[in-house]
Amino acid sequence: MKQKNSNRRIFLLLLLIFPCFVFAQTTLSGKVNSDSGESVPFANVIQKGTSNGTTTDMDGSFAIDVESLPATLVFSSLGYGTIEQEISSGDPVTIMMMESGEALDEIVVTGLATSIKRTNSANAVASISAEDLVGTTPPSTLDGAFYGKFAGAVVNANSGAPGGGLSVKLRGATSIQGNTQPLYIVDGVYVDNSSIASGLNAVSGAAAGGNSASLLQDNATNRIADINPEDIANVEILKGASAAAIYGSRAAAGVVIITTKRGKAGETKFRFSQSTGWNEALNLQGLRAYTTQRVNDTFGASAAQQFTAAQASGSLTDYEEEVFGEHGIISNTNFSMSGGSAKTKFFAGISHNNEAGIVLNTGYEKTSLRLNLDTKPNDWIKFGLSSNYIYSSTDRGFFNNDNTGTTIGVTLTGTTPWLDLFPNENGVYPDNPDQSSNPLQTRDLVRNNETVNRIIMGGTATLNLYKADNSRLELILRGGLDFYGQKSRAIFPKELQFQKPINGGLNGVSIQGDTQNKNYNLSAFLVHNLTTANDINFRSQAGLTNEYFDRNTQLITASGLVASETNVDQAANVGVDQTRFKQEDSGFFVQEEVNFQDMFIATVGVRGDRSSNNGNANDFLYFPKASLAVNLNEFSFWTEDGVWDQMKLRVAYGEAGNFPPARGLFTSYNAFTTDGLLGLSLLGVRGDGDLRSERQKELEFGADFGFFDGRLTFSGTYYIKTVEDLILNAALEPSTGFTTQFVNAGELENKGIELTLNATPIVSEDFQWDIGVNWFRNRSIITKLDVDPFNIGAFGATLGTFRIEEGESPTQIVGIGPNPGANGFVQWGDSEPDFQMAFNNSLRYKNIDLSFLFQWKKGGDNINLTTLLSDLNGTTHDYDTIDLDPAGSLGNGDYRLSQLGSSAEVFVEDASYVKLREIGIYYTLTKKMLAGVLGGSLDSIRLGASGTNILAFFDYNSYDPEVSNFGGNTPFTGVEVTPYPSSKRFLFHVGVNF
Amino acid sequence: MKKYIYKILFFASVTTMLVSCEVEEFSDLNGPEVDAFAEVLTRGDLQDLIGGVLYSSRTRLGTYYDDCGVVGREFWRFSGSDPRFTTDLLGGGNSVLDNNTFYITGPWASRYRTVKNANLILGFLDGQDTSAQFSTAEVNATKGFLRTFIAYEMLLNLNLTDEAGIRLDVADATNLGPFVGKTAALTGIRAMLAQAASELSGGGAAFPYVLTGGFDGFNTPSGFLQVNKAIAARVAAYQGDSSGVLSLLVGSFINLSGGDMNTGVYYTFSLDPNDLANPLFISVEGSSPSQARVVQPSFLTDAEANDLRLSKTAQLPAPITLDGLTGDVILNRYQSNIESIPIIRNEELILLYAEANITVNPGQAVTALNIIRSSAGLGAYSGGMDSASLINEMLNQRRYSLYAEGHRWIDMRRYNKLGDLPLDRPDDNVWSSFPIPLTENQ
Repeated sequence: MKQKNSNRRIFLLLLLIFPCFVFAQTTLSGKVNSDSGESVPFANVIQKGTSNGTTTDMDGSFAIDVESLPATLVFSSLGYGTIEQEISSGDPVTIMMMESGEALDEIVVTGLATSIKRTNSANAVASISAEDLVGTTPPSTLDGAFYGKFAGAVVNANSGAPGGGLSVKLRGATSIQGNTQPLYIVDGVYVDNSSIASGLNAVSGAAAGGNSASLLQDNATNRIADINPEDIANVEILKGASAAAIYGSRAAAGVVIITTKRGKAGETKFRFSQSTGWNEALNLQGLRAYTTQRVNDTFGASAAQQFTAAQASGSLTDYEEEVFGEHGIISNTNFSMSGGSAKTKFFAGISHNNEAGIVLNTGYEKTSLRLNLDTKPNDWIKFGLSSNYIYSSTDRGFFNNDNTGTTIGVTLTGTTPWLDLFPNENGVYPDNPDQSSNPLQTRDLVRNNETVNRIIMGGTATLNLYKADNSRLELILRGGLDFYGQKSRAIFPKELQFQKPINGGLNGVSIQGDTQNKNYNLSAFLVHNLTTANDINFRSQAGLTNEYFDRNTQLITASGLVASETNVDQAANVGVDQTRFKQEDSGFFVQEEVNFQDMFIATVGVRGDRSSNNGNANDFLYFPKASLAVNLNEFSFWTEDGVWDQMKLRVAYGEAGNFPPARGLFTSYNAFTTDGLLGLSLLGVRGDGDLRSERQKELEFGADFGFFDGRLTFSGTYYIKTVEDLILNAALEPSTGFTTQFVNAGELENKGIELTLNATPIVSEDFQWDIGVNWFRNRSIITKLDVDPFNIGAFGATLGTFRIEEGESPTQIVGIGPNPGANGFVQWGDSEPDFQMAFNNSLRYKNIDLSFLFQWKKGGDNINLTTLLSDLNGTTHDYDTIDLDPAGSLGNGDYRLSQLGSSAEVFVEDASYVKLREIGIYYTLTKKMLAGVLGGSLDSIRLGASGTNILAFFDYNSYDPEVSNFGGNTPFTGVEVTPYPSSKRFLFHVGVNF
Repeated sequence: MKKYIYKILFFASVTTMLVSCEVEEFSDLNGPEVDAFAEVLTRGDLQDLIGGVLYSSRTRLGTYYDDCGVVGREFWRFSGSDPRFTTDLLGGGNSVLDNNTFYITGPWASRYRTVKNANLILGFLDGQDTSAQFSTAEVNATKGFLRTFIAYEMLLNLNLTDEAGIRLDVADATNLGPFVGKTAALTGIRAMLAQAASELSGGGAAFPYVLTGGFDGFNTPSGFLQVNKAIAARVAAYQGDSSGVLSLLVGSFINLSGGDMNTGVYYTFSLDPNDLANPLFISVEGSSPSQARVVQPSFLTDAEANDLRLSKTAQLPAPITLDGLTGDVILNRYQSNIESIPIIRNEELILLYAEANITVNPGQAVTALNIIRSSAGLGAYSGGMDSASLINEMLNQRRYSLYAEGHRWIDMRRYNKLGDLPLDRPDDNVWSSFPIPLTENQ
């Protein structure tokens, strides 16, 4: 029933234009209130089956003339469930409308300037409301709230370091070398989601021989973390090209459209909430079961003596616990207010988050300010403004892979409990006799900080150029700006063990980066609506778009620091690296939608894009789309009062692009020095000026069913998504002087199924139970490869590597092993999960709400090298357990080591998990209960407790199967090298609405 | 109302014009494109491009020396972050050398990158009229310099793959020549050096660019010709061409008068962040199981008493252990991370002279070996004068004189003596060569 809403609104508009044509006979009047007892201003009131309607005034009162009684009135308003009420007398009535998050679900995006009601959408567009996003427990970063909430979205944290660093992948692998992260659009603004490396490689040497700016292993945050989850009203995900074609050449990895909260007319509402709690390690590994004999066998006699002595004096130290055992305090404070008049509405919010990590001196702090304004000075023009300022500061610590034995993670794998690494009374740390670094010293003295100042602003002007009885023309102008400055500062003081020149150190390193990023986008659209006499609606739109991206990163690496100075000029050696990125895109978009009495809804459209990033910048690339939805329930043979509310069949096709990486277009020299002499040397990558964008073609079929007044809904979607002109950084014979070349040389196919079930099994005055289940799977395969198969990602076949090979999954993990196949390798796994599933439950009993979300990832493999590094150092927690060796004689550690060099099997591990992602329990004190407090001015108080990842079940032999040493923007996640361990969060909440 | 509409339409059309303008095409914003030099190569450009050859000739050099040193049982490489130094390289357990792992792919690709850097310059010189910028002699000198480098880089790769060979003809990246076996490769490298030598002879008085301090004394075409001859003498020795060695040494910078053993050309390093540091330096204090080069014990036990060359090792305060290997003496060949690494130096030339003379003139061989022995503080050679004894003595002197400079493994292989290298663990193996990298598609 709700679904009629937007058509009714169109009627309403017509009605507003020609009020004098309506003849009055009986006047009905009344008042519309919300379930929280407030009046609902500007709600639509329409007599069912007619174009007769009105809106409520500021106090929620309405009066409408009807020709005869009884009459059925339909009440609707954004943010509320639609109500139908039959009225048989002329007495004033009171209507209660339920505030509903789901009500926002009704509209999904179909064009750059238009949306459509969900029941008419031909795509499985996933959409979640603020309540779903942050209602159970506030996430640390926005993308952290996506787990389990969208069928088809695979969310993976790269590490447990505070401040984000997540990847979101929609419908499988979409690119090998290009971007794999969705495009984020916040209130119409293209928002940058880069991860900017902080240059730690200068110390870690993780990419040995590499240059410092092109790194993935620095464990950087991705910038979408800046968006404050509390500001968000709604998130929609366009998962593939069939829905995302409207975003053209940047949309192949999907689009996440975020709408922030906006003011509602009426009384100004204030919301305050405070959450306080802590982070703690999810799953520490623990110590090996050391005995004197084992220590003697592995570490030699002198270590055995130290062990015995330390054991006798009780000074054995669990350094894992020492480093990762902190309880990091979390505090989130939010305050917002919203309100306005019929003409001008506002939403303003401020929030401050501060959370400490599970390692001392790590943490994340963010302050976000938002002001959203809408004004409608008269009937034909409307302006909207969104503005957001963000400050964030992240301390990430020093983790992940290295080749110098210096990161805390790598060092811990070789740190035995009988060592004494604590500082003496003068604060002097002893050198670690077994390792290049003292992990406690590194933790206490190294700083790795990123600071961001960011402004995101978007503006929209909507002009009703022309209105008539059955047609309407709108002009929509939009502009957006995303500007940020990011400073990174990594300080390695000279007193660190590995910085002392006598130990081969650089005598202190200060790495300071400065990035300025500016994106802006402009667009203009004309939208024309025409409704014919027999209720066929034509909606035409045409528009122009322009986007501009400019980023400049300067990274200064200084070593040989003077005294305790950290300024980069106070150093013996200074190196500077500058990386610039610029891109300008411009395009057009046309689309035609035809809605035949809500029975058939057909859409065709095309976007044309030009980009400076294409080989030929001024050639258009075209991205067509077409879709059809059939609402069987709207056909006349359908019984109006059956249990079926909806039965929709839909099919959609679309194409989208993915740009070549900028470095893929050029073969260039890089500047280096040799003992003071400047030199230009190749880097080993051969570019191609004629490189084409990747093109994704997606065909999606689905069916949506609704029963029992929407209490049971089911949606099923099957898609086939192919990626043509796959860009590969394919291996090239190294004797050419290049090790890789960028080529368009393959095709990739993803097929998948997504099923979603939502039900409200029980609903009564006091008790309501909602359940949501989603299940999805994806299978990727390389269907065509024009270059020789090659290994990619990870650390070579001995330890397990990814391999691109025709006929195989792009994320297959191969390695050396017995009885290799024709390619010389054994396939040991695949990082793609068999399926993922999520159960979301929400229970309400009177004033108590309980909700929880379980997420299950079944299958998918990781390459676990943390365990290997621990084995090599004889420190693994299960070193002496015997359950891996088929012969049953070697301990696990010895067995894994015995396989090193002959088989990669033991390093490839199943990364399945079940996690209780979110749980929250809340008690709400209503306005009625608070009547005596502060003169009854409080609307409600909400108290509660919640947690994230409180339960996690997995067999994976490390901290967490969710990990990626190489960051998020690659299909080759799931490689683990001593990451910052994951944590779980516990929070307590108090929220006040007044 | 109407005037507003006109304003709006005006505004809309302005916006339309703004957004529909052509997009700007950018060149590479972050570095000079290769094609930029194909049209015009200035003297300044040439200086920078030569600098690039010098730069890339040093990348992954540490891995090359570790490969030769570990497989040749000169030292063990302990690394907490990469186990394969003590497994694959030593053939520990069931481990074998992988054809797609850093120990071969890293140095192999880096050497060919230098070859490419040099070949591109040769292409720029041949592809344009350079008369306005350079004299004919300068072009000759540059070609001879670059070709010597190309030959030397190819020799280092051949040292790793040995019988499996290398690709000699790689000037055209889109049309690579075939892999050639060891014999043909050595012949090809020697021919390249000969061509370079004739170009350097016609190279005039000076290079049109400056070189690093590592080339001091050899930074003119005639000076560098001596380096070319020295390298060619090494190649001739690998070919078993004794007379060739002796005739080439004549044109080299060999100094048999007992002068400085270290005269030669060097890779130089600095701590400039865009430069490379000496990759073979790890101090005593900085050595631990997670990071060390531990001397293979027989290097110490086999040494003659008071051999001054044992100063290339240093004692640790306590033994360190990794993967079943324990030692308390580390490699101390370089005393800082900016010390230069020799490309070729007089001590090797004297040893090449000795080696070539074993068959030609054994007396001269002993004379040369005694120059080496005396410089190491040892008495004169007193062993047999038969070839086998002299070869053993020569190999032994090379072992200590050229310790950790990438020779031991190759020398023992040349004389089919890899079986004499010590094994440290029961299942270890001594590899005779590295596989050709997987991505060469061989």
